[in-house]
Amino acid sequence: MRYDSITDAIGDTPLVRIAPEVHGLRNIDLYAKLEMLNPFGSVKDRAAWNMARPRIADAQARGATVVELSSGNTAKALAVIAGMHGLRFKSVTNRMRVPEIKDLLLLLGAEIEELPGQTECLDPGLADDPLTAVHRELTAMGDAHLHTDQYFNERNTEAHAAGTGPEIIADLDGRAPDWFVACVGTAGSSTGVARVLRAHDPGVRVVGLVAGKSDFIPGIRDIDEVREVGLFDPAAYDAIDAVSTDDAVEGMVTLMRRCGILAGPTGGAAYTGAVRRLRAVDDTLTERATAVFIVCDRGESYLGYVRRHRPELFGRAAADPNTVASVSAAEAESAAALDPAAAREWIARRRPTVVDLRSPFAFRALHIEGSINIVDEVFGELVRGGLPFGRRQPVLLACPVGEQSARYAALLARMGHEEVYSLAGGIIGWRDAGAPLVAD
Amino acid sequence: MDPTPLYLEPRLDEPLASLVESAEFLHTLTDALGSPLNILLPDQAAANVERFRAVFRRHSLSGEICLAHKATRSSAVVRRLAATGAGIDVASLGELQHALGAGFTGDRIVATGPKDPDFLWLAARTGAVVHLDGLAELDLLAELVRKHGLPRTRVLPRLSGFASAGVRVRSRRSRFGVPAAGLDRLIDALDRHRDAVDPIGTAYHLDTTSLDEKALAFEGCLVALDALRRRGFAPRAVDIGGGFGTGYLADAAQWERYTTELRRAVLGERQPLTWGGHGYGLRAEGGTLRGALGLYPAHRPLSGPDYLDRLLARTAPGLGRGLGALLLDSLGDLRIAPGRALLDQCGLTLAAVAEVRREDSGDTVVRLAAKADDIGLEDHGVLVDPVVVPRAPAADPAPAAVYLTGSLCLESDLITRRLVHLPRLPRPGDLLAFANTAGYCMDFGATRAQGRPGARKVAVHRDAGRWQWCLDDRYWPIGRTGGTPA
Repeated sequence: MRYDSITDAIGDTPLVRIAPEVHGLRNIDLYAKLEMLNPFGSVKDRAAWNMARPRIADAQARGATVVELSSGNTAKALAVIAGMHGLRFKSVTNRMRVPEIKDLLLLLGAEIEELPGQTECLDPGLADDPLTAVHRELTAMGDAHLHTDQYFNERNTEAHAAGTGPEIIADLDGRAPDWFVACVGTAGSSTGVARVLRAHDPGVRVVGLVAGKSDFIPGIRDIDEVREVGLFDPAAYDAIDAVSTDDAVEGMVTLMRRCGILAGPTGGAAYTGAVRRLRAVDDTLTERATAVFIVCDRGESYLGYVRRHRPELFGRAAADPNTVASVSAAEAESAAALDPAAAREWIARRRPTVVDLRSPFAFRALHIEGSINIVDEVFGELVRGGLPFGRRQPVLLACPVGEQSARYAALLARMGHEEVYSLAGGIIGWRDAGAPLVAD
Repeated sequence: MDPTPLYLEPRLDEPLASLVESAEFLHTLTDALGSPLNILLPDQAAANVERFRAVFRRHSLSGEICLAHKATRSSAVVRRLAATGAGIDVASLGELQHALGAGFTGDRIVATGPKDPDFLWLAARTGAVVHLDGLAELDLLAELVRKHGLPRTRVLPRLSGFASAGVRVRSRRSRFGVPAAGLDRLIDALDRHRDAVDPIGTAYHLDTTSLDEKALAFEGCLVALDALRRRGFAPRAVDIGGGFGTGYLADAAQWERYTTELRRAVLGERQPLTWGGHGYGLRAEGGTLRGALGLYPAHRPLSGPDYLDRLLARTAPGLGRGLGALLLDSLGDLRIAPGRALLDQCGLTLAAVAEVRREDSGDTVVRLAAKADDIGLEDHGVLVDPVVVPRAPAADPAPAAVYLTGSLCLESDLITRRLVHLPRLPRPGDLLAFANTAGYCMDFGATRAQGRPGARKVAVHRDAGRWQWCLDDRYWPIGRTGGTPA
């Protein structure tokens, strides 16, 4: 396959059957529409390109900035498209909670603005939803922007009515599936695909998946938030089910480990939501049926998200006997320590290495003259990897209040260091004792 | 009527839970002192200080926990806190006088908010710390100090508009503080006034629930602390104010269900849930919801001391280390000034049922012997059900959905605009107990409109299973709740 432009590679994504032994449905063939294989990585490539394409020439002539209210995949696709066409892109959002996506957007050259959080004291002057606020602000910007407006732009839906939907029918040998399951974010893909499938076969059942209200699944809105979406029409769905963060991660793991599909949490949620819904009807079927769900994007950007919810999926670090966590409270308490006066005397006499375990920022501002700065996290690494001083070297460890330094002093003593002390009361105690501190 | 009641039951911890159950005691109080009546639990405020202090300890931090006085006018609460290690944050001359009169010495007081010369003078005279909201205020304070021979005054300049790297984090415009970009000018001014003021740290004021915004501001204050130090000052503290929030509701599912149903009602998909179809800031446009839900997030998974704990554990966006650890590394003290969170579970407001009327429309309207402004929950966007405190046990209590109206001759005098579901229909003479009103929702906006008296306040405490009480202004924290010692 040869293309003149990467945007030509958008669409025509594979439809892959999920092995029955994975989902356990006896009478239903379940297929995944792999929108994650679009060139910029998600289902949003189609909508972004379809919304931006007809207006790019005009935007170039005006030197306009492309603007979208997006926390993820639409922003990613638009950032690429804008960059390819010499335009700036700005994403405005109040939902950007996946740090890896933020970094990726910055790498792609996007400008990101985060909207303020909810006020703690009720302020009746703040009457606008984020979408309306952005609309109003853009009006004030005049014509220096190209707002793709994904939540209201009919070309978002159309991208899927013209592409995703017909592709599914073609791959099923000209038949619409009996069920179509999709997560609802902008409602563009679910509504667009549903429209085409229904036109082909009015019997198709469409299930929209939304997040539970206390769950956060990137790319899916909850049942209340979808009501702020212009493209969302409850009548487009036969049912709207809620999915949880657990569902999303569980589905993601199944798709990754058992199907070779490296899906993100939205795809995982779609899988789990689809199987749950289909399992309920599987036994009542008398003939074979088909179902399709959408895998929106890839999993690599969501490692932090998954780790927060299911740390055990990442295994546990091999047990290392020499970590500061292994130091008991009693051990720390009995660590050799010197109060500021004794420490000053000892420093003058023995000239030990004084290690300040605080952050470089604080160290620069104030520290004990002649001390060196190894922030505690790095020091912990060095304890395992190899310390820059020998076991006979006299060492004084200092932290803010003498707690962390006592733990490390105990650990070093356990490891055979002969002359290690903790500064009792820490740098705060040192300061309060009137002992001198210097700045860089 | 929709068959499933949409309850929003209050979160009631001990001892507030027991107090609400003490029907006879509450009726005795309102029979004597009238309706509405505010009841305070000063000891609970002291317990809350201890809970915040535990978070400080967990992060090895020292510093000050101040009550934001503006959240309450209760003397009992202020006097009780004067007897703890807490400080107080006062926003007016009147509050400053009240705090001094309640036993706070100047060194434990912070003067904040818009300041007149008389307020500044008394603050400086008594040795209070002064929040600085601008260069003009600094000039005014320095001039007062010199002209009247006042002691060198400890100040906490408040900063705003912190810049972020990479992602631009927007914050709502604040009326308070000096833009962080103008820090150099601020330090120049502090330098000029070195004889009159002593900057002991930095502060910010942000009205947001967003941890990201606060983390950015917190980090900005640490950087400013360093800048002050470089110019020869000896600042010690970062003051992060309050805004830690309170959870008013017991059950997350009730809150989630209610807010979903409210949206459906606004979209016309179910029977109205509010008086006149009020949408609490939401409106329907072509089948899509617009506007913002103007309600306090009444069920909060993270609030009060836990919120502070999370903020301190948060990684600073630029310096890449926990904020609490950074502050400690910088040898700094933490200052906080919660209002609502420090007064969590510290009181309730009682109102007597004056009339229960079944209207032709089918609505049931319960009129209370109280004005809407006596029960500030609605004004602060807090939706929470009152608890019915019956005068006599009912043989067969029936669930009901009612509108609660006030006693003013005014159409808009609604205690709440929402239809309130209650497990039993109140009868005249019953009391409705609005729980957890001590922070902002008790006397913040109470008026004497139409010659109606304001609510009396009483302080209570439980002693060997029995409730003791005294009038709020007769309370002193000397081991008994007012009155004569037994």
